[in-house]
Amino acid sequence: MIADIATVGLKELREIFTFGDVRGRSKFSLVILIVIFGIVIPLQNGRGWVRSPINIMIWGWMPFLWVSGIVADLFAGERERHTLEALLATRLSDQSILFGKLLAAMAYGFILTWVIMLAGLITVNISYGRYYGLIFYPTSMLLAALVFSILISGLSACIGVLVSLRAGSVRQAQQMMSAGMLVLFLPFMLIQFIPVRVVRSITEMATSVSSLQIALLVAFVLLLIEGILIVIALRLFQRSKLILD
Amino acid sequence: MIDNMNAIQTNQLTRSFGDLKAVDRLTMDVPRGTVFGFLGPNGSGKTTTIRLLLGLLDPDQGNAQVLGFDTRRQAGEVRVRCGALLEHHGLYERLSAEENLDYYGRIWHMPKEERERRIRELLEPLDLYKRRDEPIGQWSRGMKQKLAVARTLMHHPELIFLDEPTAGLDPVASATLREDLALLVAREGVTIFLTTHNLVEAEKLCTKVGVINHGQLLAIGSPADLRAKTSAPRLYVTGQGISERIVDDLKRNLLVTKVQNQNGRLVLDLNDLTRSYEIVTLLVQAGVQIDEVRKEKLDLEDVFLQLVEEETRGEK
Repeated sequence: MIADIATVGLKELREIFTFGDVRGRSKFSLVILIVIFGIVIPLQNGRGWVRSPINIMIWGWMPFLWVSGIVADLFAGERERHTLEALLATRLSDQSILFGKLLAAMAYGFILTWVIMLAGLITVNISYGRYYGLIFYPTSMLLAALVFSILISGLSACIGVLVSLRAGSVRQAQQMMSAGMLVLFLPFMLIQFIPVRVVRSITEMATSVSSLQIALLVAFVLLLIEGILIVIALRLFQRSKLILD
Repeated sequence: MIDNMNAIQTNQLTRSFGDLKAVDRLTMDVPRGTVFGFLGPNGSGKTTTIRLLLGLLDPDQGNAQVLGFDTRRQAGEVRVRCGALLEHHGLYERLSAEENLDYYGRIWHMPKEERERRIRELLEPLDLYKRRDEPIGQWSRGMKQKLAVARTLMHHPELIFLDEPTAGLDPVASATLREDLALLVAREGVTIFLTTHNLVEAEKLCTKVGVINHGQLLAIGSPADLRAKTSAPRLYVTGQGISERIVDDLKRNLLVTKVQNQNGRLVLDLNDLTRSYEIVTLLVQAGVQIDEVRKEKLDLEDVFLQLVEEETRGEK
């Protein structure tokens, strides 16, 4: 089964990296992402881009956006291009196909995050290294980026797979993903409406625990959500159901 | 009981979608090593039958064995041993021909050297090997269909399902694909289950055919058997002065079982074709100026139309 997952995943990655974004938008979009987040923004922010802990938030959420750009195509695209039925008629198990696609989307988010982090590091060192010497990410930040780039890519991939499975077309899947992202960011927008007293008590509670504890809690919650989403996806991804869609 | 001589055995296989019975008590055998043509008009249940045989759908009633495996309980085993070209070619148009075949080779766990050798072996006779690196998105539909046929054979399956492989192709591309298919089939020695509504295709490729309509199997046998079972050979008479009165007289003649007037050409089904001279004499006496008289066996298209017509009449 692992070999089958790898086969499906590698084919997906080949399609994603060779042909870029959803529906054949050119791989030029990949280059633009790397230029903006790996060169332009690090140049503007200087050493802070590499050293500031705030960036963990950025590295955490960026993979979500990147993965959501390609994940809509995974099932809705195959169905739209009539390639899914041929795949379902092979010896591959339902799980191999599902996990192969899921892992490809996660790998895309993970790889892109690290390529951009590396580009940012090189940019900052070339531009500011002569003032500060060799600049490198703090170990805690590297670890957090490692864990959260995987988990957030996974979350985006899981949501995307569910959306893509239910959507009738790639366009519909993209629209549903965009709407879903608004829902995800809604809590952040609603913060301003929470009474100051409540916000203060949450802040006090948060400052009483270490950042490691917060990171572990967030990671656990993400894992739990992803586990639930995968179980739902496994129930939805069944040949006999898909063949009739 | 499973019969090893048969690649496919179905017993009262039934599948409905709501009130529609897509496949209705289908019982048939397809011997190993044959090219079996499954004929039927659009919506007759051909594609659903393939999906049932591949274990992609479960039957509501009845069962099917494919290569000795039950399609409901051992669907995975069935798919390991089969190849399928379904309604759409299902190729990845962004990838090259080689990448498409290589992907399917990997799916069947073929080693790299074997995949490379097999790709060459399949694409060379189809004149596609030199173009194997091209993304297939720009290829003609005929070329894509050829590639899709090659893909079904990639892993040396024992049985392949081809669902209307020449549908949507122009006559030249259809003929080329048929020739290539016949070539590959002869070389590979696989059993083929071919659905089509192209009767020329069935006549040229198939050693055994089944006719399906409204999910029910109307007839099964070799094309020659079906012709013999379905109707006697026909008499075609072309001439001047064929009136409705003459046609009415012929309908009353005991030798004639069926008569059609097709724009001055009479098509007659006779009880005994050796007595066709009696009909010709009758026509001459009635004043018909005969241009041509021709005796001909029914082709598969006539057999098919007759079976479908009889079934429709039976339903009414």
